[in-house]
Amino acid sequence: MTNIIIFLVLLVLGYVFGRMAERRHFKSIIDREKQYKHILCFNERTLPVHTPIPEVSLVAGNVVISIDYFKRIAAGLNNIFGGRVRAYESLIERARREAILRMKEDAQQHGAQAIFNVKLETASIYKGRGQQIGSVEVYAYGTALINKS
Amino acid sequence: MGYENRDIPEGINVSKAHPLKEFAWLAAGLIILVVFSVLVLSLMAEHLTRYIPFSLEQKATASVSKRYADEHPLNQQQQEVQTYLQTLADTLVVNQGLDDDMSITVHYVDDDTVNAFATLGGHVIIFKGLLQKMPHENALSMVMAHEIAHIKHRDPIISLGRGLTVYLALSSIVGIGNNSTFEQVLGQTGLLTMMSFSREQESAADRTALLTLKRYYGHLKGAATLFKLLQKEEAEHSAPSFFNSHPLTKDRIKAVMGFAKSIKAPADSTVKAFPDNIHKALRPPAETLEKAENQ
Repeated sequence: MTNIIIFLVLLVLGYVFGRMAERRHFKSIIDREKQYKHILCFNERTLPVHTPIPEVSLVAGNVVISIDYFKRIAAGLNNIFGGRVRAYESLIERARREAILRMKEDAQQHGAQAIFNVKLETASIYKGRGQQIGSVEVYAYGTALINKS
Repeated sequence: MGYENRDIPEGINVSKAHPLKEFAWLAAGLIILVVFSVLVLSLMAEHLTRYIPFSLEQKATASVSKRYADEHPLNQQQQEVQTYLQTLADTLVVNQGLDDDMSITVHYVDDDTVNAFATLGGHVIIFKGLLQKMPHENALSMVMAHEIAHIKHRDPIISLGRGLTVYLALSSIVGIGNNSTFEQVLGQTGLLTMMSFSREQESAADRTALLTLKRYYGHLKGAATLFKLLQKEEAEHSAPSFFNSHPLTKDRIKAVMGFAKSIKAPADSTVKAFPDNIHKALRPPAETLEKAENQ
């Protein structure tokens, strides 16, 4: 009985705080995406022809986001019945956009106008450790083009 | 350069659907699935475990029982109580009409716990605490006959079979989910069902016990006394652990009382007192001391 009560309390806490954090994070992401809109991102490895070769620099940003208790249980239910794991979809989306934003912030500090060859790496942390903690890392990196003129 | 980053519309990866809605549906689905499979499986397990021969139960519990007896030797006085209990049990076995291949072994435990229970292999465990609460032999016979009835009905092995099946089923559902939290919550549900008899099993044991007492004593005087006593104990806050394994529901008491009334007791029916040596062995230590001082 005690276990069930603890379980329900964790579930409610996870839901309330997880949702609050997620809403706040999305708001901040959308705001900052507008702020850094002038830094362009492309996954192409080569520059368009006739582009003057400017100075270049490696820029990167990474983020680790943990799931909350509610998301874990919701994903557990999805594991039984199948379907879209919506709880994780929004989590990964946040991580990806946040990593790109941090990379753009890095580019901004270098005075860059565009980033080419953008790549994303992802890793799950604590994988296989009794599922005690589930968090995801997304690492975004690319080649920033810096026009000195 | 002619390159640009166009705005990506929101909501491609994140759906607008409320997370609680899907959660509620899936949780309800899981609960229905679990309840349904537990019901079906426990019915099947109850049906099948009856076919496990009693001798197998005895064989499986023999070593545990022997080890316990070796580790907890009884002194002479305790031995007398044990012999008395065993004799009473044997008499009740005859009156209850157990199968020939079934036998009852009574274990007397010198402990203040107010409890008695029947377990696998025909072993009935009776604690001193419960015996001290019994006003006369008829009340004790009711307890004993109730426990023997559990064994007659094969309740311990049925409960174990049911519990194990449910536990395995739940673990395998959890295995698909592969989630330790589910495992904890569901695992406990399985263990709970493993250790207890169902309400139906308790009522059936009551009925058999009453019929046994009727055959042995010719009346049910003491049996009703026992239930009144237990009811009183329960009312007086200190519900002894006896109730944990034997929930004393109102319906159960009502059924017993009704049955007792329906049988006309002969006018001269009396309850049987405990033999002197047993009475002496069960006396609480404080009382014994007092008597010694008075002499």
